[in-house]
Amino acid sequence: MTLSAITQQSVGAGIFSSAFLLSILIWLPVIVAVGIAIMPNPRGRYDTLIKQIAFFANLVTMFILFIAYNQFENFLPTMQYEEKIAWLPAIGVTYHLGVDGPGIAMLMLSGLVGIASVLASIGIRERVRTYFALLLLAQASVNGAIVARDMFVLILFWGASIVPIALLILGWGGPRRVGAAWRLVGYWGLGTAALAVGVLALYAVTGGRTFDMDTLLGTAQPPRIQIGVSIAMIVAGATRLPLFPLHGWLRDALAEAPVGVAVVVSGAASRLGAFLLLRVVIGAEPAAAHLLSPVLAALAALTVGYAALAAIRSVDIRHAGAYLAMVPGGITLLGLAAISPLGIAGSVLSLFTGGLAAALIAGVCATVSERAQTRSLLLLSGLAPRMPNIAWIFLLAAFALLGVPVFASFASEVMTFFGAFKTQPIGAFAVAIGLAITAVALAALLGRVLFGSPNSDAPGVSDAALGETWYLGILAGALLWIGLFPGGPKIPGTDTPLFDPGFVSQIAAGVSDITSNYTLPASAAPAAQ
Amino acid sequence: MPVLLIAPFASFLLALSSVRTRRSASATAMFGTVVSLLLTLLVAWGLARRSTPYVASYQYINMSVAFSGPTNFQTFAINLVFHVDHLTVIALLVIEVCVIAAIGWHQLMGRSEPGAARFHALITLLLFACTGVLVSWDLAELFGFWALAGALTYLLLTHRWGFDEAASRARIALALPFLTDLSLLCGIAWLYARYGTQNLATLLPILHTNPGWTVRSIVVGSVLLFVGVAGRLALWPLSGWLSMTSATAPTAASAIAQSAWPVVGMVVLYRLTPIFAASNRQTLQAFLVACAVSAVIAGATSLVGNGPRRVITLAGSGAVAVAAAVVINGAYHQPATFAIAGVAAVLAVAPARAAALLAASTIANAMRTDDMAEMGEAWRRMRASSGALLASAIVIGLAASGALAFGVSSRSRLGIALGEAVLLLAVGAIRVFVGASFGILRRRRAFDPDRVREPEGARGFPYWLAVAGAALLVASFLTGWLNFLDGQKHPAAGPLAIALWAAVAIVGFAACALVFTRDKDGALALSAFGGGFLGRYAAGGLGVVDRFLVEPTTDAGHRVSDWIAAGDGALGRFATASGQLALAAGRGPALPIVVGLAIVLAVVFALVAPGIAR
Repeated sequence: MTLSAITQQSVGAGIFSSAFLLSILIWLPVIVAVGIAIMPNPRGRYDTLIKQIAFFANLVTMFILFIAYNQFENFLPTMQYEEKIAWLPAIGVTYHLGVDGPGIAMLMLSGLVGIASVLASIGIRERVRTYFALLLLAQASVNGAIVARDMFVLILFWGASIVPIALLILGWGGPRRVGAAWRLVGYWGLGTAALAVGVLALYAVTGGRTFDMDTLLGTAQPPRIQIGVSIAMIVAGATRLPLFPLHGWLRDALAEAPVGVAVVVSGAASRLGAFLLLRVVIGAEPAAAHLLSPVLAALAALTVGYAALAAIRSVDIRHAGAYLAMVPGGITLLGLAAISPLGIAGSVLSLFTGGLAAALIAGVCATVSERAQTRSLLLLSGLAPRMPNIAWIFLLAAFALLGVPVFASFASEVMTFFGAFKTQPIGAFAVAIGLAITAVALAALLGRVLFGSPNSDAPGVSDAALGETWYLGILAGALLWIGLFPGGPKIPGTDTPLFDPGFVSQIAAGVSDITSNYTLPASAAPAAQ
Repeated sequence: MPVLLIAPFASFLLALSSVRTRRSASATAMFGTVVSLLLTLLVAWGLARRSTPYVASYQYINMSVAFSGPTNFQTFAINLVFHVDHLTVIALLVIEVCVIAAIGWHQLMGRSEPGAARFHALITLLLFACTGVLVSWDLAELFGFWALAGALTYLLLTHRWGFDEAASRARIALALPFLTDLSLLCGIAWLYARYGTQNLATLLPILHTNPGWTVRSIVVGSVLLFVGVAGRLALWPLSGWLSMTSATAPTAASAIAQSAWPVVGMVVLYRLTPIFAASNRQTLQAFLVACAVSAVIAGATSLVGNGPRRVITLAGSGAVAVAAAVVINGAYHQPATFAIAGVAAVLAVAPARAAALLAASTIANAMRTDDMAEMGEAWRRMRASSGALLASAIVIGLAASGALAFGVSSRSRLGIALGEAVLLLAVGAIRVFVGASFGILRRRRAFDPDRVREPEGARGFPYWLAVAGAALLVASFLTGWLNFLDGQKHPAAGPLAIALWAAVAIVGFAACALVFTRDKDGALALSAFGGGFLGRYAAGGLGVVDRFLVEPTTDAGHRVSDWIAAGDGALGRFATASGQLALAAGRGPALPIVVGLAIVLAVVFALVAPGIAR
């Protein structure tokens, strides 16, 4: 790799003028992870320091992200904060990074989830150094997969995220951690293989000169190739998001993983599946997208319905939380399946809100199980009076999952349904029915766990600790903030944003570019208003 | 005008952030609601000087989603469009009065309820959400406030943490209305997908002029919207979330839910009737039939069972269903101007329903029984509460009659069906009064009936709420009131029509009074038997649904999970076995293995090659 071919554009870098802003987001956690790994920690003397280092590393990352988010030019459809360095010119690999609207949404999600995961991991006592090093590596790999603009680099980061997460589950998980970790490796490995097949197919069709995403995805391909590549990408995305029936890893992984890892997996790492579908299938393979949209809609409906039904029958609260964490993924997929501008925009917003909602529900179920010292729903009962903080957050998580207004998930669901009803009405109805079943599942879960009479046979319970309240509060607070101010708070009487330019405005950049393949002809326009 | 929303929200923030004791929580909620009431009166006074409603618009979401294609679909926007007219302020006043009475009653009678700060904070936020629904003119915005109000209603109805029965019954308060709320969302989404707008001001004029519009699309949208509103109006069979929680939820919460939602739902139904009218007559007929059936069955089920709160809930649902039928009938007959009569009827029913619930609960608490068969002597011992029950029952019965007098012919099949419903719900409503007020108060365990009395301060709230309902009932018979509500001119209902429909309710009152006078115990025993019979069959029906639909479906989901896990395990074992085989092969002699593999492959290829098949 040489630095001789550095090209960089500093579009979007105003106040913060680093040309390697995105690289900082990837490699800073890696450097900190390496530093943590090699620093001496005799008999755990520096455990607290290590946790603080990890927390502040995430905080610095989030600070940089926030500046990048504020400086982001929301009227530009092109990539911003681009970095491009030739790496393996013989096979056409470049170290090419960049973000657009959907990318910045994913980065913000990753940043928030990163902070939450560190706070959720405050209770780790064993091999703290290794744990936080692996956690930071996982976060770095997710960030890398989000900002990668070279498909080879994407595969590397995509695959790299498997190792630290599997090791975290294996090393710090619950009683069935071994099976959970191997199942995760198997499914995500299958997805990585499918991704590699799709990328190599694109590489071959475009002449085998470069892995650059702009070239691979910008070149027009015959419909058969589009369909083949799309199917490979759907398999890759479905194993990661996950979608029924490639969801086999989810239940055990989220149930056996430590709380912080469950938050990272459900909140950020899994959203990469939908992000990949958005980028490749919807963004670059319009013919295949049109053909496969009913399949995607069916998968969305099956995912939401199956997740709700499975959650109803769960006797383990962490299993129930894992199944419920699948629901936002189905809604995101419905928006993609709609292949309408509003549906796609809704799915982009849903990437962010769904990630937060999934992390919140998985996290709160894990926290309840830890605080109540049991996972069995046969024992958990009437916890609300004894753990009011967790009870309220549990309620907020349930409402966020259902898309109750005030939460950002309401806006994303409205946009998704509004966009889907035109092109996929049956799929939209089916997902709505699935959401109704989810409401039943949540009603049963809340009624049993929180509001019933206390079970005298259950172990003693305690309310959430400060760290737990904070990490859950961050996730819920982000959902509330975006839900109340989707366009950002403005100076009263003006359109001038105060300090938040508006999440919905920022993610709009690039969406129009993606949706340009799916707009109706103007002759079908309804009467102008 | 935004202060109508800001006031209850500020009260909520105050209650949430600073209040800890029961008394201060109650005082804060009461203060906030009274301020909201005064502000509403101020706005009403301002409206009285205008002929046009107040309209204000604020941006909530504005997102560019496409640069090409139809202009309507290039940008997605949800605007907070506040539209305040006479109907809005009157509906808001009714809700605020009901909330004030409920809070006041709860101050005295709800001392033993847990979580006072939480309870009162939720009430103020619910008021905020209901206000938002009433002032919304953008359907997405309306749905936002609607769903928020629904979530808050669930939290209020499940307020009694730590009680199994309350928790299990409150589940339906989340699941069932959420299902209908989704239907409302789907209806709004359906219309948006076809018209590109969700603002009523721009949607209604283009229902039949938009290129590509079809009757089918309007029908589907209308059905979805109607089902969505019917759920929150608690039209049978969607009334379970109110009737099942009427005894287990805090009475004040139940009273607010049963008074606020009919008003909010009916106003929304009234505003959506132009969309229903734009569909076909078959659709409207179906809606009318649904409302009529709901009214009759709700009235009939209010005759069985001896739980006073449940009976009041069902009788109220029946009255709301009758009013809904009148509103829909207004869309059915074009041009028609009497749909507003249905709204006016609900404005009277709402406070009466709340008053009846509060009074019945006062009596039930004093007599320490929730069974009318064990109640009695309330007229002698608890005159105010008993009087409130009487007044409320009369209002519920007659309010429906008033609506029918304006809009339904007594000779039509619809009129006959609704007349039956009025008769039944009148009987149901009045039998709570008769059952609790007369006859002997039976002793239960060591209970001393001489100590039965109503608390000094609480007696006034149900009574004055019933008076308010009575005043609105009288107003609902006046053409001028209807003219004021919707700003249009209405022909007066004939005195004969009013007398006829009122007579139906009065006959119901008289019949019930006669039966109870002759044999109260027998009547209540019969209704208890009917209630038990109905309960057993309902439980049986639910059991059948559970056994043949819910369990197999959820079991299928559970089995799929197990199969997938088993499949993964089998794959894992296969991978392990193949790896072990490879290791073993590596240790074994190579040549025999290779020869063996070659033979196997040759046989396989030979079998699958086309020549063998020929």
